[in-house]
Amino acid sequence: MALLELRGISKRFGGLQALNRVDLTLEDGMIAALIGPNGAGKTTLFHTLTGIYRPDEGEIHFIGRSLVGLKPDKITGAGISRTFQNIRLFAHMTVLENILVGMHCRISTSLWGILLQSQGAHRQERDAARRAMELIELAGLRGKENEWAHQLSYGEQRRLEIARALAANPKVLLLDEPTAGMNTTEAQSLMMLFKDLIGRYVQAVLLIEHNMRVVMGISHRVYVLDYGEKIAEGHPDEVRRDPRVIEAYLGPGTWVGDAQS
Amino acid sequence: MELALDILPQVLVDGIVLGFMYALIALGYTMVYGVLEFINFAHSEIFVLGAFVGVEILLLLESAGHLATLHTAFVLLIVILSGMLLSGLAAVALERVAYRPLQRSPRLVALISAIGASFFLQDALRFFESLWRNTFYLTYPTLDVLDKTVPLGLNVVVPVKSLLVIVTALVALAVLHLFVNRTRLGAAIRAVAQDPDTASLMGIPVNRVIALTFFVGGAMGGLAGVLFGLHYSLVNPYSGFFPGLKAFTAAVLGGIGNIPGAMLGGMVLGMLEAFAASYLSILTDGAFGAEYKDVFAFVVLILILILRPKGLLGEKVREEGA
Amino acid sequence: MKVGLTHVGVVAYIIASSALVFVFPQSVLAFLCFEASLLVIYYASVDQTTKFCLGTIVLLVLLPLLGSVNGYYLEVAIQVGIFVALALGLNIVVGFVGLLNLGFVAFYAIGAYLWAIFGSPQANHFLPGNLFPLSSVWFFPFLLLSVGVGALTGALLGLPVLRLRGDYLAVVTLGFAEVVRALVNNFDKPINITNGPKGITPIEKPPLFFQPLLEFLGFSVNPSTLYPFYFYFLVLFIAMLTVVVARRLEESRIGRAWKAIREDEIAAAAMGIPVVRMKLLGLAVGASFASAVGVLFAAKQVFINPESFTFMESIGVLAMVILGGMGSIPGAILGATGVTILNLQVLKGLSLWLNSVRQSGIVLSIPLFGDFTLSQIPAQFEPAKYERMVFGLILILMMMFRPQGVLPPRQKRGH
Repeated sequence: MALLELRGISKRFGGLQALNRVDLTLEDGMIAALIGPNGAGKTTLFHTLTGIYRPDEGEIHFIGRSLVGLKPDKITGAGISRTFQNIRLFAHMTVLENILVGMHCRISTSLWGILLQSQGAHRQERDAARRAMELIELAGLRGKENEWAHQLSYGEQRRLEIARALAANPKVLLLDEPTAGMNTTEAQSLMMLFKDLIGRYVQAVLLIEHNMRVVMGISHRVYVLDYGEKIAEGHPDEVRRDPRVIEAYLGPGTWVGDAQS
Repeated sequence: MELALDILPQVLVDGIVLGFMYALIALGYTMVYGVLEFINFAHSEIFVLGAFVGVEILLLLESAGHLATLHTAFVLLIVILSGMLLSGLAAVALERVAYRPLQRSPRLVALISAIGASFFLQDALRFFESLWRNTFYLTYPTLDVLDKTVPLGLNVVVPVKSLLVIVTALVALAVLHLFVNRTRLGAAIRAVAQDPDTASLMGIPVNRVIALTFFVGGAMGGLAGVLFGLHYSLVNPYSGFFPGLKAFTAAVLGGIGNIPGAMLGGMVLGMLEAFAASYLSILTDGAFGAEYKDVFAFVVLILILILRPKGLLGEKVREEGA
Repeated sequence: MKVGLTHVGVVAYIIASSALVFVFPQSVLAFLCFEASLLVIYYASVDQTTKFCLGTIVLLVLLPLLGSVNGYYLEVAIQVGIFVALALGLNIVVGFVGLLNLGFVAFYAIGAYLWAIFGSPQANHFLPGNLFPLSSVWFFPFLLLSVGVGALTGALLGLPVLRLRGDYLAVVTLGFAEVVRALVNNFDKPINITNGPKGITPIEKPPLFFQPLLEFLGFSVNPSTLYPFYFYFLVLFIAMLTVVVARRLEESRIGRAWKAIREDEIAAAAMGIPVVRMKLLGLAVGASFASAVGVLFAAKQVFINPESFTFMESIGVLAMVILGGMGSIPGAILGATGVTILNLQVLKGLSLWLNSVRQSGIVLSIPLFGDFTLSQIPAQFEPAKYERMVFGLILILMMMFRPQGVLPPRQKRGH
């Protein structure tokens, strides 16, 4: 059964058709990539999926439940969390606090519990801190948990953002250009991380990516958007041979393994 | 009800006078918001400064014995022009000292600095007047002509000072309109308001245009200050708070950043306030009176911001991000 | 526990400065030195337990003792405590949630009028039965009630304004405070609820519930000498309570959610934070602090009128938060203490000094200007009259040179 299913999602901004009847399915254990030229509507799709935008038409089903019209925090609560294209960390909070914010909807201490420092609240905070340290470890940020987020290097910030998204304990993880601005080695190691995530931390990953090595290396299925429309989908090998994709996305005759933008 | 009709012409005149006053002050808020996207909270003090320049010049002329000998029109011209000039320069200085260093900071930082500047200027003015005149509550000397009235037929009489406010404000608004829409400098202001980065790439000296905007807005505020003093006679360093907030309301009402909007907003607010001041008591049978007119403006502000935050004529503020 | 040189130094400073105040009970400078001992304790490199013990001794023992030498010191300390609680409340709204609330004084006014109306004969004007003033026993229930009323008004104000841009929200909160003040000022008719500009008096003080105990122990103390001390401990207790509440919230998921909203609202929502609910909660908690302190203020002053709740008060509290450092609890405490002492002692002290100079009749001979009698210095120059200028300067200078404040939030080591 599909974990996440988008059917006929459309979104207009004034005269611009940003998304036109896009279908997309994400199954358990799957890493899917969303590719397409700049302005194709990839990030808009993420925003629509996470409740920042409301789709004009279409349905979003997540484990048998409709997500259309839910606020972003409810969608995260339901089990979908994400990173942003232009890293959006909480700059004046520590690495640890950033992760703990990600756990907001998994901690249930009440106002009274906090004010009276109840046993339960104490235990939850302790458990949360322990789990946060695990995620910090996973992101390779051990020893930096008390630094301000804005003091981290670019690559560290990217990884922290992913760890923060994982902190919400999602079933589906959405990554918006996670390797943007990274060199090949960094991108490779991040790729390995994504593979490790499946099954252990999340059930499925959907990523927007320009780095074709990453896309081809790890995704089970690729969706190609152009001008808001899905022009192709399938196994990476099928998609890379699809003439429409080559024309729309890569331009005639430029297909090489590495098309970083 | 007859009573209500009897005072109607007076209420209308009051409303128009107030409306022009608010419109003039609102221009300062709206123009600065247009180019910098921030509330120049200290604009109310620029307005008060105009009123103080006016009263100082009149008092100096009076003590030198010139007030009686010079032609009133000439005196008024001097007073108005100097009020505008000094307020405009003060606004430029304010921008240079308190805002420009914060141009790259978050908007709220500049706003807090502006609030600080507002408080500082109030007491600075108080300090100066205390030193100079040993009091900071000043009264405008009477100019006989201003207290005369002009009959308009239908038993309606209008004081000359009200006509003065109306005529001067109309001239100033017309000149401003021509300046913004028909001159190169005006075009530069509009360009910066639309997109400062592109304007800068096009060779427009953005900082100088910002200073110019502050000067023009400040001069309009100064003019309003002089007219306020001539009309209501009493000024003190803290007189700017309510007119300033109401004018800001007017600017939001018309659509912030929108110059015709500020004029319209000022007029609407002035009328509303004049009607509230006169009719609230009649309508509620004395339960609520004119003392609620200040609250009234705030209620309008809150309602407008909640129901129609872009104002009556729409904002002319650049889009964020994109 | 190892006692180092620092311990000795800190204790020596505390003893020396207290002795100084005992010897010169009228000296502002001596008392300032004593107040600085709290800063010395805060900054000294000694362990937490020592800090806590020394702070407790200074606040619970030494300060009341000094207050018995010069009663004005207790008044200063009470004011400081009131403003510490207010600043901590505003710090939650401005520092944690990042909403510039310019009308914070409104909630303070609501609390103050809540007790003033029912703790004085005022309520008889609109409620039958001649039940008022309520006896002083009701003070504590009203303190609790004010927390609820404050929270409710805070949230009610929040509902419509939260969608607004930051700067608009600032102006609307300002407008809200002015509306509250105008209502208080004018609701002496058609029904007399607030007694208008004339204000309300006499307001009941808190109950002397411990008097039987004192008498049992053989002390017979005159209530009028007892009250300043009583208020001091009450304010101290409430200020401490606000510190504890603010700290516990800060270190909880709620505090983290607030800061996340301040840093990036969209990312916060994407991390599962219900932004609107959390903002409302922040406004409500901040307002409840102010409202509770308002009850205390009314009881302490015995008389209140709308003049105590002007825009300037809001900005004063804002200046405290900004001076200390937005989002920093030690900062808010330091800012409140510093600004209050500046107003009550430094500026007043300078004004008194200026007055004494004027009365001295000394004549200065200034070359070119001729003789100048010092008594000619106008009374308008008294620095105490320029509170606004002080607040204004604090705001501008801090924004320019140190927007993060004197004691910005620190990264915690370990946990």
